[in-house]
Amino acid sequence: MKFTSVLSVLSVLFFLSNGVNAKTIPEQAVMDIEFTIPKVEASIYARPYVAIWIEDKQRQPVRTIQLWVGEDEWLKDLRSWWRKVGRNDRTVVDAVTSATRPIGQYRFAWDGLDQKGKRVEQGDYTFYVEVVREHGGRNYLRQKIQLAEQDFKLTLQPTEETGLINLHYHIQ
Amino acid sequence: MLSKKISTVAVACAIFGGLTLSQVANAHPRWIMPSHFAISKEGGDWLTFDVTASHGTFVLDKPAGAENARIVMPDGRQERPDAVLRGKRRSVFDFHFTEEGTHRVQVTNSPSYVTHYKAGKRDTQKRLRASKVERIALLPEGAREVSSTLNYTRAETYITVGKPSEKPFPLEGTYLELLPETNPADIVATEPVRFQLFFNGKPQVGVKAEITRDGTLYRNQQEQIDVVTDEQGFIEFTPEVAGRYLLKATHQAPIADNPLADNMNVSVHLTFEAVLP
Repeated sequence: MKFTSVLSVLSVLFFLSNGVNAKTIPEQAVMDIEFTIPKVEASIYARPYVAIWIEDKQRQPVRTIQLWVGEDEWLKDLRSWWRKVGRNDRTVVDAVTSATRPIGQYRFAWDGLDQKGKRVEQGDYTFYVEVVREHGGRNYLRQKIQLAEQDFKLTLQPTEETGLINLHYHIQ
Repeated sequence: MLSKKISTVAVACAIFGGLTLSQVANAHPRWIMPSHFAISKEGGDWLTFDVTASHGTFVLDKPAGAENARIVMPDGRQERPDAVLRGKRRSVFDFHFTEEGTHRVQVTNSPSYVTHYKAGKRDTQKRLRASKVERIALLPEGAREVSSTLNYTRAETYITVGKPSEKPFPLEGTYLELLPETNPADIVATEPVRFQLFFNGKPQVGVKAEITRDGTLYRNQQEQIDVVTDEQGFIEFTPEVAGRYLLKATHQAPIADNPLADNMNVSVHLTFEAVLP
């Protein structure tokens, strides 16, 4: 209660100080994401649970881009995504959840819209990836990104549960 | 031969244990361990709970009863478990959680009484399971330094279905109680946690709490966190490592004009998890 009211006061202040100048990212801005589920040698292999999302500078969730879980019973095993996003907004789950995927390379794009369909403001954000595999490990990746009028390319190095991840933000 | 040796050791332990026995905190701490702390399944899910009393953190030992287990629902009403089993070294109960929000799960028995006294030429410290009234018939002649203690422990844990509740549970106003200013569903390793302790409904200064992480059998030191409540009854600590923790807070106080006890020893044993950052 206390915490949320402080937050709302903060966001009002933020709005007052920046609201006037707040500039959204260009309409054509897109972030392409290349994502790989690596081959893992394991006696019992299960397809991993994956959550990919964006948070703003205040560490508030902006948009869940991909959510591969299957059954909602296991959503909580994506510990960070569940705590920061999933448990607070069931509609996000219903909107984005999809089945788990096999080993391989995937491409998808983020259109620069937040969960409500509004284009986000220019500024600093963080790109998150959480991957959890039953009988396997968990990797939690964070990458700071700046969304403005400049294109950028970033690569996140492979971990146990993630292959190469490429981000390409561009104004088409 | 071996069994003889063991029994000699056991007797020796009992004697020395008896000699060094402190007036309080000799009972096996009772605690609850849930199978999960969070539920994400739409429509809810079943959870199972172990209840036991043991000296080792999360080591199953004595079959503390679970018949008194209660689930405090997010709206404050209390429900009973759906199924209760009593084993030899633990009790088990199950509950079907369906309502969104934070639930408190507790096992609180009625107060128990212990009388301590000294007797014999060598001032041997002895104890009886008796209150001030019951002790009259039981104390030997010449018993000295007699004092009866009321013991009361709230063993509890918190379960959250979906979104955590923002509204705290109301106080009962008796014995020692803990209100988690940090919702237990929000406890993250490396981040500070704040709890408030109340004695008979009022914030209590000077309550000692020790917080121990699971797995003491597999490390040399307890690595417990020791904290004491401030003027407003708050403790603050940071679990550095993700895992399951047992918080044991205890308050001792003399009680005046009570027909059953001279002092009380009241505790809260809270089981919680610190999730990965």
